[in-house]
Amino acid sequence: MEIAVPHSTTHHEPAHWRKKHYASLYVRFILLTLICSVLPLLLVGWGIYVYYSEFASERMVEYFQSQVQHHERIIELFFKERVSDLQLIAYSQSLEQLKEQKNLQRIFDIMNRDGSFFEDVGVQNDQGKHLAYVGPFDLIDKDYSQTFWFKEVMARDVCISDMFLGYRKVPHVIVAVTNSEAGQKWILRATIYTDSFRSLLEDVKMGETGEVYLVNTHGILQTTPRFGGKILDKIDLPMGAFTDRSGIRILDATTNDDGRTVPRQIVAYTWLNDPKWMLVVKQDYSEVFQQVNRANQAMLIFLHISIIAILIVSIITTKHMIQVVKDRDEEADELNRQLVQTSKLASLGELAAGVAHEINNPLAIILTGNQVVRDLADEQTDLEAEFRSQLYECLAQADGQVLRCNMITHNLLRFARRSKSIIEQVNLNNCVGEVIELMEKRAKSSGVTFHRNFDEKLPQVRTDASQLQQVFVNLFANAIDAHEGKPYGAIHVTTRADGRKGGVEIAISDTGSGIPGHVLERMFDPFFTTKPVGKGTGLGLSISYNIIKNLGGEIRVQSSVGEGTEFIIFLPFTPPETLAGSSYERGV
Amino acid sequence: MRATRVLLVDDEVAFTKNLSLLLSKRGHEVTAVNDGLAAMRVIEEKDVDVVLLDLKMPGIDGIETLKRIKKRNPRIEVIILTGHGSVDTAIEGVGSGAFDYAMKPFDLNELTERISKAFQRKLLREKQEGLV
Repeated sequence: MEIAVPHSTTHHEPAHWRKKHYASLYVRFILLTLICSVLPLLLVGWGIYVYYSEFASERMVEYFQSQVQHHERIIELFFKERVSDLQLIAYSQSLEQLKEQKNLQRIFDIMNRDGSFFEDVGVQNDQGKHLAYVGPFDLIDKDYSQTFWFKEVMARDVCISDMFLGYRKVPHVIVAVTNSEAGQKWILRATIYTDSFRSLLEDVKMGETGEVYLVNTHGILQTTPRFGGKILDKIDLPMGAFTDRSGIRILDATTNDDGRTVPRQIVAYTWLNDPKWMLVVKQDYSEVFQQVNRANQAMLIFLHISIIAILIVSIITTKHMIQVVKDRDEEADELNRQLVQTSKLASLGELAAGVAHEINNPLAIILTGNQVVRDLADEQTDLEAEFRSQLYECLAQADGQVLRCNMITHNLLRFARRSKSIIEQVNLNNCVGEVIELMEKRAKSSGVTFHRNFDEKLPQVRTDASQLQQVFVNLFANAIDAHEGKPYGAIHVTTRADGRKGGVEIAISDTGSGIPGHVLERMFDPFFTTKPVGKGTGLGLSISYNIIKNLGGEIRVQSSVGEGTEFIIFLPFTPPETLAGSSYERGV
Repeated sequence: MRATRVLLVDDEVAFTKNLSLLLSKRGHEVTAVNDGLAAMRVIEEKDVDVVLLDLKMPGIDGIETLKRIKKRNPRIEVIILTGHGSVDTAIEGVGSGAFDYAMKPFDLNELTERISKAFQRKLLREKQEGLV
């Protein structure tokens, strides 16, 4: 007979292939996580940065513009007030009154009553000659007819001069107004106390690098800037003409003539109406945007920390996930191995069943052949005694060996059945009923009848029907044999549910000869038999015992000699996990 | 009591030869054939009491032969001979009308016991039917 043993067909993926697979999975997971989380984060960060920068620069421009407007108002107001002061005096006093030194001194004192605004005051005729003067300098004899401010005031009646040195050789501003009396123009002129005016701007402290100063139309500084340059210095400021009115510019970093680096600066400017000066507010770009930059830096740090956090989390998560995948793969491998093992066992079982069947037939032939020879020898009367005894011995030996082979096939079959153990929903009434039918006729001819006391509502049990039937055959055969020598008897088969213990009970009681106590003790031992040699193997009850135990149940026996024996089998509704797990479940 | 007329059906020629020798010696009238169709021919021609029927045979198998025999003459008792170690096939046979079964290799005394029980049952039934 050709025996094909199925080969193992598992294709275990090589370990290095798996490793590569996990590594690529790892990289893909991390990339995906990064794309999904870091990209949006960067977009949001960029959006916030752009929006905030724009917002901040708008605010800065507004701030600068308000600074410029503020200072513009102050300066214009300052000069307006000074001009009004002079105009009030010029129009309320006559030339005669003003020419009087004492009176002019009194007026000068009144002018400076609210603060030291005026340095000196003078009254001049239309020739530029002083008629009266009050002030710290000796200017009474000076001729002003050729000065620019004299020409201007004569032309426009009001003049606010640029800063100039004049006769006193100190930077100063002159405010002059005119009046006329009897067709004669005269001038009231005053010098602005420059310190009070300059401090208005020069003391302005805008941060570390901010400065405010004034420049006239010729680019001459009218106040001393905080940094770089002095009053009356000419500076080269790339501002527009007077008509530009006002604006804001950003000057790129440059290097001065003296090698000093001027950083990028933001400059706001506006032209005053009178005097025609340009007010400049200037600050280093970096300082203006320091706060913005700080905020942006904080955001950048936050962004980096977030990205690092995401990276760490994604690495940890991915490692965990890969581990889960690895575990799953290993579980699958283990299951696969088990499956292969089980299917190996199953095919081995089928093989065993086939072999057992093929061997049982020749065994039957040998056994019958032996008997034929024995019969023939019995008929021969003239055989030598020694030959006869040797022949019988050989035949007996052959019989013994056949029985031995039979035992082997039995065990093989048992193994085959066990490896093919099929756990399914079983109606025990039907299961035991089939076996009763199988044995009923044989029993009847021995005068034994079966009585079924079946619980019609018996719940189904998850168990192996085929193995159970093996047990019933054994128990019934014993029960029938127990009636030997009795003309009639009965076997009662009772099924009932035992909800308390979680299973069902099958009781098989006979009216046979009963079992003595010393036999009861050993009856489930293997190879223990009370039957004559050659009848029964002594395996029936021990096999039954093992089957029931494997199915998670128990088997009990009680007997009284002469009255009969009762076997009680208990089976749980579901078999133990170990059995259910290691066997095929039909329909699952 | 008359001798039991036994029909032995098994595809193993050596087995049928041996067993018919043994059973003849023990007072049975034995006819041996090696397939189901031949068995049916014997049933047609002869009066048979007990059939010893192997389950696994080429051509029509044991169960099919059993059904045909029972259909032809329900009084004939059939004892199934099976080389399978399990009772599954025996249950199927008895369900289809067999009287009993024996597992190969069997004890000759047990087999003859079963044959005589089957024969007695046939006689009993014939008697009952005769009375009715």
